[in-house]
Amino acid sequence: MKKIGLFYSFNTKKTAQTAKRIVESFGSENIDEINVEELTEKQFLGYDNIILGVPTWFDGELPNYWDEFVPALDDLDLRGKKVAIYGAGNQKDYPENFVDAVGIMSQLVEKQGAKVIGHTSVKGYTFESSKAKQGDVFVGLALDFENQSSMNKERIASWCEQLIKEFQ
Amino acid sequence: MAFTDIPVKKHFTIKTTDKKTLQKWFHLMVLGRILDDRAPNYLKQAIGWSYHAAFAGHDGIQLAIGQVFDRKTDHLYPYYRDMMTAISAGLTAEEVIFNGISKDADVAGGGRHMSNHFAKPEWNIHNVSSSTGNHALHAAGTGRAFIKYKQKGVVISSQGESSVSEGYVYEAINGASNEQVPVIFVFQDNGYGISVPKADQTANRKVANNFTGFKNLRIIHCNGKDVFDSMNAMKEAKDWAIKNSMPVIVQANCVRIHSHSNSDRHELYRDDFELNYVHEYDPLAKYRRLLLRYNRFTEEELVEIEKKAKVEVKDAHKKAMAAPDPSAESIFDFVIGPEYKSEKYPEGIHSADGPKKKLIEAINETLKAEFRHNPDTYIWGQDIAYKEKGGIFNVTKGMQKEFGKERVFNAPIAEDFIMGTANGMSRFDKKIRIVVEGAEFADYFWPAMEQFVETTHEYWRSKGQFSPNITVRLASGGYIGGGLYHSQSIEGSLTTFPGTRIVYPSYADDAAGLLRTCMRSEGISVFLEPKFLYNAPIAATPVPDDFEVPFGKARIRREGKDLSIITFGNTTHMCIEVADKLEKDTGASIEVIDLRSLLPLDIEAIVASVRKTSKALVVHEDKIFGGFGGEIAATIAEAAFEYLDGPIHRVGSTFTPVGFNPILEKAVLPNTEKILKATKELLDY
Repeated sequence: MKKIGLFYSFNTKKTAQTAKRIVESFGSENIDEINVEELTEKQFLGYDNIILGVPTWFDGELPNYWDEFVPALDDLDLRGKKVAIYGAGNQKDYPENFVDAVGIMSQLVEKQGAKVIGHTSVKGYTFESSKAKQGDVFVGLALDFENQSSMNKERIASWCEQLIKEFQ
Repeated sequence: MAFTDIPVKKHFTIKTTDKKTLQKWFHLMVLGRILDDRAPNYLKQAIGWSYHAAFAGHDGIQLAIGQVFDRKTDHLYPYYRDMMTAISAGLTAEEVIFNGISKDADVAGGGRHMSNHFAKPEWNIHNVSSSTGNHALHAAGTGRAFIKYKQKGVVISSQGESSVSEGYVYEAINGASNEQVPVIFVFQDNGYGISVPKADQTANRKVANNFTGFKNLRIIHCNGKDVFDSMNAMKEAKDWAIKNSMPVIVQANCVRIHSHSNSDRHELYRDDFELNYVHEYDPLAKYRRLLLRYNRFTEEELVEIEKKAKVEVKDAHKKAMAAPDPSAESIFDFVIGPEYKSEKYPEGIHSADGPKKKLIEAINETLKAEFRHNPDTYIWGQDIAYKEKGGIFNVTKGMQKEFGKERVFNAPIAEDFIMGTANGMSRFDKKIRIVVEGAEFADYFWPAMEQFVETTHEYWRSKGQFSPNITVRLASGGYIGGGLYHSQSIEGSLTTFPGTRIVYPSYADDAAGLLRTCMRSEGISVFLEPKFLYNAPIAATPVPDDFEVPFGKARIRREGKDLSIITFGNTTHMCIEVADKLEKDTGASIEVIDLRSLLPLDIEAIVASVRKTSKALVVHEDKIFGGFGGEIAATIAEAAFEYLDGPIHRVGSTFTPVGFNPILEKAVLPNTEKILKATKELLDY
């Protein structure tokens, strides 16, 4: 398996905590952690296996640090790359936009030619709508620290196992 | 169904927008933010700006609103948080501070309106109320004018997301959708109505989605914190609204970085985490980072722009501090727009003879005559516009047939909408004159009171820059067995508002003359129609075709020397009957003054009569307690006390609603019996 680039904001809590678990699952020698807030196009293109930490802000938005990278992303050729996305949302207080940012990012990288992997079942979640939902799956890993925090550990572990196969 | 899923074209991006434009935006945003941050200092130093609702966090959408606004073709209704909008639309730092510290040079209205209410009526940036979102109705009305006058442009109504909870905002969007007017309703969503979170306002977190079932409406969501997303959304909205003649809602997600205003302490209801993350998404900081990240500007270039903006604000501050304050003597200027002056009938009296016309005919014929006289005259109301029917009482019969649907049309059952769109439409052009049937009956005017009050403020608040030229017709009063909701007299309430005229004719000729004066004057006039007299032979008179009755001119309908009865409306006829009877029975000589105008009130005529007779009886249909008669009595007591030979008595309704059963109605309303008794008692005093 090629080395994985794990991109997230180092100034986050939940997203960073999840990143830590992901690194543990893959082993730190197999994964590089990159702070999105200082991300360059060159860094992004340096990996074929990519994991993005993309929490949903406000009523279904990308965090500002990702949003600021979107103009750069729009010009990148991501063909041949596999991208997995995880993100936190709150299905109880924001049921209309649960983990929307995962869906938004998925569309952006797919548009540039990447293959989005790591889809997970929507079973076990209760929400109204989500841009991350395609049929009966999310296009990434949905985490809810506010309402289902006890399930995060298992969900992350299971997702990483899935990714190990899909990144092959 | 509304158009909700159409992609927004990306006209503006950080990579493709020209440098000059990017620089202009950065300058405007920095200038705005300096003023926004500096505003609280004026209060701390007791200079002024006691109300300041900071815009920080709304920078993207406010920049975009101002940038798409074109003063040559568009109209803009900003709200109290729209400082950045106003600056982006062209207001200078100096003009912003003039408003903030209420200087006479304030272009919104010379320091009359509260701080942070930025406007420039000269450029169609309207001076609006503090009542949140009530200008949405004005925007819908201006949009109506755009259609009628084929104006190629848009009307923009800007407001906070919580204001959408107001019923009148629904009325405005419903009307805009139904009439397909080019209005953009911008909801600046920062998550709070002062301290009340969105969850306590409506079930949808994105309130714009409450309107997805509306036809002829486009809904666009954007990131109001992002300059480019906001610019693209507003450009798309404007292009769409003009091309399709259709309203658009733009819901812009913002953050409120500061408290609601300087009278609010957001730390009482927002935790540290939230306060931190709203700061994290500072739109100005984000824009600055983008300019640097994508190599559009160097740090040195941006610092230079920031330095210049600081100097600009410093200079503006000095000028504002040296500018004069408004004078105390000026408070009586611009209370209401200029009235039409009658040259032919300066006293509102005629000596015409000929066939008598009923009151309803006089109103109908005058309306038609004035519609022929002024092609920019419009009328709307509930139930008024069918070929053979014109209103519940047929007062506007035949008008749509003669003047067409463009000028004579029905309104939805939404009284506030009727009033508010009249206000908005009259902003389009000074030549426009609007008549509205404010409600089917005066009893149903109460929902429109919000817009009525607003409209009475316009001329004064804008320091004479905008006069709503509107005549509000209301079928008023009882005696028709109408019960609680078809019998009300509401002039006692309406006369408490400066900025309006209130007239209440009793006879056909005065109805015609007063209506003509209302329709030719500037300002808002309320024309109360005693519906009991519409077809009453007793109110029928000869009516000269060109008759005019000036405001504030009472008419002595019966001369006398022993007692003055001051009255108006339905009771005028009862008073004359009583006077005739007493003269016949006892020889008493009673003068009956028909006020005709309540605002302005002909104090001179009242006092002259009381000086002559030394006794005053005030009679009206409305309740004695709280009725307009109290004002008349107090005025007499003040101006003619030494001439009185007895107490001032009043006859009117009991302090109860008007009952439906005829026994109840008779017990409540004044009648000749009650007036006769009171007159005798006062004569005998």
